[in-house]
Amino acid sequence: MGRFLLKRLGLAAITLFLLSVLVFFGAQVLPGNVARRILGPFADQAAVDALNEELGTDQPLLTQYWDWISGLLTGDLGESLALGVPVGELIGDALVNSFKLAALAFVLVVPLAILGGVVAALRRDRLTDRVITIGGLSLAVLPEFVTGIVLILVFGLWLEILPVSANAPPGSGFFTQIKYLLLPAFVLVILLFGYIARITRAGTIEALDADYTRTAVLKGLPRRTVIQRHVLRNSLLPTIAVVATQTGYLIGGLVVVETLFNYPGMGRLIVTASRQKDLPLLEAGVLVVGIVFLVAMLLADLMYSLLNPRIRYSRAE
Amino acid sequence: MDETQHRVDEVRRERSKLENHLIDEYVLGKITRRELVRRGTVVGMSLPLLSFIAAACGGDDDDGAATGTGGTETTATGDVQPGGTIRVALIQPTTEPNPLLVQDEGGAGMLGATGEYLSFSDENLELQPRIAESWEPNEDGSAWTFTIRQGVTFHNGATLTANDVVETFEKLINPDGGSVNAQSALGGVLSPGNTEAPDDATVVFNLDAPNGNFPTLVSSANYNAIIIPADLDPADWGQTFEGTGPFKLQNFSPQVGATFVRNDAYWGEPANPETIDVKFYAEEGPMVVAFQGDEVDFVEHFSVAGGRALLEDPNTQVIAISTATHRQLHMRTDKEPFTDARVRQAIALSIDRAALVDGLWEGRAEIGNDSPFAPLYPSTDTTVAQREQDLDQARQLLADAGMEGFEVQLDTWDGFEIPDLAQLVKNYAQEIGVTVSLKITDAATYYGDGVFGKSTWLDSVMGITDYGHRPVPNVYLSSVYTSEGTWNAAHFKNPQADQLIAQYVAALDVDSQKAAAKQIQELLLEETPVILPYFYNFLSAAKPNLQNAISAATGQFDLSRAGFTA
Repeated sequence: MGRFLLKRLGLAAITLFLLSVLVFFGAQVLPGNVARRILGPFADQAAVDALNEELGTDQPLLTQYWDWISGLLTGDLGESLALGVPVGELIGDALVNSFKLAALAFVLVVPLAILGGVVAALRRDRLTDRVITIGGLSLAVLPEFVTGIVLILVFGLWLEILPVSANAPPGSGFFTQIKYLLLPAFVLVILLFGYIARITRAGTIEALDADYTRTAVLKGLPRRTVIQRHVLRNSLLPTIAVVATQTGYLIGGLVVVETLFNYPGMGRLIVTASRQKDLPLLEAGVLVVGIVFLVAMLLADLMYSLLNPRIRYSRAE
Repeated sequence: MDETQHRVDEVRRERSKLENHLIDEYVLGKITRRELVRRGTVVGMSLPLLSFIAAACGGDDDDGAATGTGGTETTATGDVQPGGTIRVALIQPTTEPNPLLVQDEGGAGMLGATGEYLSFSDENLELQPRIAESWEPNEDGSAWTFTIRQGVTFHNGATLTANDVVETFEKLINPDGGSVNAQSALGGVLSPGNTEAPDDATVVFNLDAPNGNFPTLVSSANYNAIIIPADLDPADWGQTFEGTGPFKLQNFSPQVGATFVRNDAYWGEPANPETIDVKFYAEEGPMVVAFQGDEVDFVEHFSVAGGRALLEDPNTQVIAISTATHRQLHMRTDKEPFTDARVRQAIALSIDRAALVDGLWEGRAEIGNDSPFAPLYPSTDTTVAQREQDLDQARQLLADAGMEGFEVQLDTWDGFEIPDLAQLVKNYAQEIGVTVSLKITDAATYYGDGVFGKSTWLDSVMGITDYGHRPVPNVYLSSVYTSEGTWNAAHFKNPQADQLIAQYVAALDVDSQKAAAKQIQELLLEETPVILPYFYNFLSAAKPNLQNAISAATGQFDLSRAGFTA
C-alpha cells in the first residue's frame, strides 16, 4: 500500500509539472499581453512597455517560468498581475466557495442517481426504467444556461422562494448558505443525474446477470441481501470512477453556472485570469484544480480497493 | 432696473475676461440660460452668481430648468427615510483598485465610492464643487487657480491640503508610470511640475496652452483624478480606499464586492444611507436577474441589449443620461475600395439611423451625424444638416465613382450591440449592391497591441470601434481625426481638418468653439472617414422606491442623498 501511494504521488507530481508547463506556454498563444489588458486598448505603447517591465512580463518566457516555479517551490504563489493581491487569498476564497457548491451538488445527486440507476436496472425495460434513463439523458443534454435560466425564472422570479444569486450575504449561517446554493446545485443535479444513473444502471445490470448473483439467489438468500451484499458492491465500482472524474469539473469547470448565479468560485476565477493573461493566478488556479482532480482519483482508487477485494494493491503492483 | 444694472456692473468688474465674455454671449442671446449655467460652472462661477446674472440680464426664460438642474448638494426630497442599506450591482472591475490603473467602469465606480474630485461633473455636464470650492482662469485661460475647501479630512483623519491635490495630479501625469487614462485627457494640456500650491488653500495649474475646458478635465469626468493623500502610494490605495467622500470602506473583496459605510466626519452634509453594499457582476444577465429578484436596489449601468426586460418593467425606475458614447465605423481613406470620398458617403447614406436607434436602443439614443460632436456638447452646431438615409443618392454616388458592387470585409469585436450593428450595416450595404463580409472576433484580437501595424482596429479597411463618453470632444478630435492621431483608424489625413481641430481646441468661448465645430462637422460629412450612427444613453436602474440615486456616464455613482420612500 505504501509503495502504491508513493508511486501515485510521484506520478501526480509529474502530471502537475506537465500541466503547469502546458498552461504557461499555452497561455502565450492568447492574443495581447498583460499590460495591454490592464491599461486598455487606447493606452500608449510606451506605457504598456513600462508596465510590462514593472510586472516582469517583458522577460523571456523561460525566465518568467523559472521565476514562477521557484516561487511556487518556496510556497510563494505570487501576486495576481491584474488584481494586485496575493494569489493565495484569491484562490483560497474561491476554492472554499467551489467546494461548498460541489459538496451540496454531490450530496443531492449521488444518492439520487444511484437510487435511480438501481431502480431502473431492477425494472429493466419497463416504464420506470424508460422514464429514468431517457428522462435523465434528456435533462443531461440541456446546456447549463438553459436549465439555470429556467430554474431562476420559476423559483427565483415567479414563485420567489429561492434567491437568484448563489453567494449568501457575509456571515450567513449554514442553512442560509444552503438556501442560496440550492438553485445552482439543482442545475448540477440535472446535469449529472442522467449520466451517473446510467452508469449505475449498467453496472447493476451486469452484476444482476453475473454468476455470483445467480448463485446467491439459488442458495436461497433473500432478495434484499442479494442486492445489498452482492449486486450493489459490484455495481457501484464504475459509478465511483465516474463521480471522481466529475470532481475536477465541479471544482474548476463551472464557468457558466458560476456566472449565471454570480458565484465567486474557481471556474470564474480561472476564466477571468486567462482572459487577462494573469499568469500567476491562472497557473495557481489550474494547478489547484489539478490537485483536487488527482486527489479525487486517488480516493476513488482507494474506495475501489475497499469495495473490491480482488484489486488489492499490495498484490497488484 | 438701474439698481440691478449697477450690481451687474459691479459683478462684472470682478470677473475675468473669459467670464465676461460668457456673460456677453448670454446678454446677446447667443447662448441659452442653461448653457450659461453649464459653461459658467466650468469657468468657475458659482450657481447663485449665475442665477443672479441669468435673472438680471436674461429676460426671456427659455429654459426654466437652469437653476433647478444646477443641483446644489442639498436637494433631497423630503419623504426619503433616513439611513438604510442600498444594494448596488456593479460590473466587475478589471484591475486592482489603483487610481493610476483604473480604466473601466467598475473601477471608476470603486474610486468614486470613497474618493472625491475637485468637482463632480453631473448629468448636464455642469460642475458641482467638491474638494475645490471655486476656480478661476487668468486672462487667457492658460493658468487656472483653484481654491481648495478647508476642513476636509481623509478617512484616516488627516487634513487635506493643497499639497495633496498637487501630488495627486503629479502622480497622474507622471510620464513614467502615471495614469494612461488620465493622460489621455491631460496630455498636451498640463505638464509635470507645472502645478503649484502657493498656500494650503490654493492650487494653481499652469497649462501648456490656453484651455477653456480645463476644469472639466480635472473633474470627476477624468475619473482617475480622485484626490488622495500626498504620501500614499496609489498602488496601496486598494488596501484602504483612502478618500474624503461621504462613504468610507468597510470591506473589499476582489471579484466579489465591497461594503461602504457612512463617513460621519464628512465635510458636507453626512450621507443619508448608512451602508452601501456593492456586488460585482461579471456579466449583465445575472445583474438584471438579481435586480428583478430583489437582491439589488440599484443597477449602476445596464445596456438596452442586455436589460430590455427592465425597460418595460413597471417595477423599475430607469435613469437615462445623454452621453457622447458612440460606435465609430471607420473606412480606410488610403485603401481601396474607400479611397474615393463618394464611396464612403454612399455607405453612410445607406444607413437608416432612426431605425438603428429604435431597433438597437429602443429609442434610448440620439442620432449621430458622422462626427464626434454629440448633441449634448454645448459647442456642437446643431444647424448642420443631418445626414439621412438616401439609397438612390448612395447608388448614384457609387455609379459616379465607378465602384458598383464591390466586396469588403468589416472587422469588429463581439461586445455590446456591436455584432448586431455590424449585421445591420451589412444589410444596408447590400441594398446599394455592396457585399460586406463580417469578421467578428473577441476584443483582444480586434484591438491587438493598439498601435498601427499591430492592431486589427487600426489596420482594417473597415471596422467598428467603441468609444466611451468624454465630457468634451477634444480627445476624440485630436486622437481620431488629425493626421497624427494615434487612433486614426480611417488613416484620414486632411490638413484642413488638422487646422480646424487646433482652432477648436484653442478656442476659449463657446462662440468660437461652435464656429470651428461647424466647419469640422461639415468637413467630416464631406469626407466621411467615419460613420457615427448614434450616441447612446447611459442607463441605470433603481427600484421605484429608491430616490435621489445619481449615476455619471463615466461609471461613478453618488448615493449620498439617496434613500427609500416608505
